[in-house]
Amino acid sequence: MTDLNIIIGGPQGGGIESAGQIAVKSLVLKGYNILGSREYHSNIMGAHSYYHLRAKEDKPGSLTLPVDALLALDAETVLTHYREVRPGGIVVYDPAVKATRVDSIQPMAPPLKERVKKDLESRGLPTTAEGALKAMESEGVKLVGLPLKAMLRKVSEEAKAPIASVSKTVNTLGLSAMLYMLGVEPGYIEKAISLQFAGKEKVIRMNVAAARIAVEYVREVYGEPEVLPDGPHKGKVRMVASGNDLVAMGKIVAGVGFLSYYPITPSSDEALYLERHKYVKLDDGMAEKVGYDRLSVVAVQMEDELASINAAIGAALAGARSSTTTSGPGYSLMNEGISLAVEAEVPIVVTLWMRAGPSTGMPTRTGQQDLLHSIFSGHGDAPKIVIASGDHVEAFYDAIKAFNWAEIFQSPVIHLLDKYLASAMASLDREELDLSKVVIDRGKLVDNPGEGYLRYKITEDGISPRARIGDAVMYMTGLEHTEDGKATEDPVAREQMMFKRERKMRKVLEVLPEEDKAVLYGDPDADVTLVSFGSTKGVILDAMKMLEGKGVKANFLQIRLLSPFPEDLVADILSSAKKVITVELNLMGQLAFLLRAHTGVKPDSQVIKVNGRPIYDYEVVEGVLKALDGAGRVVVSGGS
Amino acid sequence: MARSWLEYKAPAWVQWCPGCGDFGILNAIYRAVAELDIPPERLVVVGGIGCSGRTTFYVKGSNAHALHGRAIPMATGIKLARPELTVIVAGGDGDLLGIGGGHFVALGRRNVDITVILFDNAVYGLTKGQAAPTLPAWIKTKALTSPNIHDNVNPVLLAFSAGYTFVARGYAYHTSQLKELIKTAVRHKGASFIDVLQPCPTYNNVMTNKWYEERIYYVGEDYDPIIRTREDFKEKLPAIMEKLLEFGDRIPLGILYWDQTKDSFEERLEKIMPGYMQAPPGTRRISVDGRPIVDPFEVFKDRVIVT
Repeated sequence: MTDLNIIIGGPQGGGIESAGQIAVKSLVLKGYNILGSREYHSNIMGAHSYYHLRAKEDKPGSLTLPVDALLALDAETVLTHYREVRPGGIVVYDPAVKATRVDSIQPMAPPLKERVKKDLESRGLPTTAEGALKAMESEGVKLVGLPLKAMLRKVSEEAKAPIASVSKTVNTLGLSAMLYMLGVEPGYIEKAISLQFAGKEKVIRMNVAAARIAVEYVREVYGEPEVLPDGPHKGKVRMVASGNDLVAMGKIVAGVGFLSYYPITPSSDEALYLERHKYVKLDDGMAEKVGYDRLSVVAVQMEDELASINAAIGAALAGARSSTTTSGPGYSLMNEGISLAVEAEVPIVVTLWMRAGPSTGMPTRTGQQDLLHSIFSGHGDAPKIVIASGDHVEAFYDAIKAFNWAEIFQSPVIHLLDKYLASAMASLDREELDLSKVVIDRGKLVDNPGEGYLRYKITEDGISPRARIGDAVMYMTGLEHTEDGKATEDPVAREQMMFKRERKMRKVLEVLPEEDKAVLYGDPDADVTLVSFGSTKGVILDAMKMLEGKGVKANFLQIRLLSPFPEDLVADILSSAKKVITVELNLMGQLAFLLRAHTGVKPDSQVIKVNGRPIYDYEVVEGVLKALDGAGRVVVSGGS
Repeated sequence: MARSWLEYKAPAWVQWCPGCGDFGILNAIYRAVAELDIPPERLVVVGGIGCSGRTTFYVKGSNAHALHGRAIPMATGIKLARPELTVIVAGGDGDLLGIGGGHFVALGRRNVDITVILFDNAVYGLTKGQAAPTLPAWIKTKALTSPNIHDNVNPVLLAFSAGYTFVARGYAYHTSQLKELIKTAVRHKGASFIDVLQPCPTYNNVMTNKWYEERIYYVGEDYDPIIRTREDFKEKLPAIMEKLLEFGDRIPLGILYWDQTKDSFEERLEKIMPGYMQAPPGTRRISVDGRPIVDPFEVFKDRVIVT
């Protein structure tokens, strides 16, 4: 069984993202499933950034440490990650960085410098990149030095281009050397390069030349490596996409007509990907069926998040499937709009990519700190739907379901995701994005409302027929209103509308299938029940297998619908749980709070992580073992 | 005239104070949309929060009442989803220029085909008379504990510099002249702005009907605010700036600036996505027999890999 783990690090702007993607593509072409994520600073150029990836035959649910190979494109990478490579692994680096002292690296975080110096000094090693390399070597890591400067000169000769223009291939040099050492044949690397830079012939030529030079060099110096066997997924049409991409895809498949946004990490890449595909030519057969041949999505960058949510509300009122996308700070600004959408019963989808707060916090780092924020957003008793996706596939389907639910229940739907899923790439098969499972349901949308139409007609399920603005004389408002939408402060009418809106949320719990509320994975009789939500799903599923190897039988309750909370279902499942441990990436234990509020179950232990990095499989294992030892709260802290 | 203005009068008690300038603006809106023959269900009045925002409920239309300050973005969403509709924003000076000032500017940059009618009485009426952004400094209206120490914003100059392509000023009690301004603004394909001066008889005891009548005048026939070419702009700019800046002893009314050279936002969208107007997001079909119309493996080829 192959389980290949890699870190590629270097300065931001130094091609780390593209090197990561070429690695991902090479390994997908080779027939593996991959999971890869980018960790980066809130910075344009110069700060440390790295790509962390895993390739396996089956689907990797978690990234992990230590890794098998580290590609260090600068001294800071060596000094940041030298404790994250397993014995027997390799580090690919440029010997020119050896003499670099920790203190001379300007972008490196001062607290990290102190930790590294302390560690190297305690081992009696110099506080330089060489010291870190020696530390690795002493632990059985193989050092693979690449004279990058000399190699670049060769690329320049080969590609007949000046050094300045080939210098950008330095990432490809390092990456190709590393992949080759790991047993990936050059053909895959070259094909991945062509895919990565499709349409840019000159760039492809330079990078392929670099790949060949690197492979030749390491073959000469280190000999032919053992070839990595092919994975089981060859000869397939697959997709490699990030969480951001898949949500944008889901929106377009769902028929989104309007997307408003204000630039904010990590939601911007979703908007960017959607914008890239906002204008779709339909084939002739489909064009005939729908009556138009070019599908256009109005995607508008607004002046702020206040405008984003209110423009999305406007477009939804006019009949478009309408959405906005943001992260915590932007969602704070949207709160009043959420409350309006509840009161005026507007079907909008708000995609909320959580990042590390509070305040601006760490904009490019992950967390699950906006669970309560999303559920309780909007003033004045504003019930709404909140769904959290566990992985890439769920992110795609949930983006579609969110629109259905928004329209069926005429309610805002908050689609909760996080920075980790946003930037993590995963390989997917055609069957995993299966359109036969996708239904477009617009609920009680009426095309011809006719005379005497009442927008807020009181009905048994609380849901009124919904006409588009422009099709009937009607009134929609955030003021409390009568059935015809006219403002009122009458106590009886007020109460009727409050309970009408409440009935809709009851209907949500009645109508949604269990798989969209909460899902129990594993043996119902397990000794430990892990409870979590969102992107920890794959990590926990992987950790369960590892725990089994240690003799701990665990199951996993994934809560998908966070509002309205499926309390009967969750209470029922937890009633037979022997030990309940929550896993979440926030300080307050927000899910634990909800469990207790809704079901009366107080988790026996909480495993939390708040350092802004994704949680890893081994950390869940460590957390569970400590919890079983009686720890009430376990804080895990892995990652660089 | 195909329709009577009475067709637009919604059956509701109008809650404004006796003598409020809002009545004049409401009447001018009724008459303008009647003369333009806009079917009530195709007319969208988006109101903000405040006395003026209640216009939403008094005009028969397919209307939406927004949050405080957010009428413009809501109207923008409506218009871009259904560009065939007539969209009018009714808001006060606090709403459009105070809490919603950023959106006011952004609409100009976009030139979306929306008519913004500013109910400009220089005070926050519904919250009992606080100073609004158009109240000149050192005026002490009766609700203020001391004179206003904020300078006033010039709404027409702000609209001009933000990019509105139709900028006018009217007076609430001059209903027929105001009606004509509204008609021209609605017909204009782009962001239109009308600053409507209106006394607030309850809270603005300084800028009264008498105060305005002593100052307002209509720009004459010799004043040409229309820009047909870029050369026109250079040539007419000094005279236009003079009118836009004039606010004191004399206050000009009428069309102050009218740029006919710019594309509306909808036209710009149509340029980058031909067919948008024909199948806009609000009304186009998004499914066939309850199934989606796009296949991710066909559309998102940039993420597909054949292994």
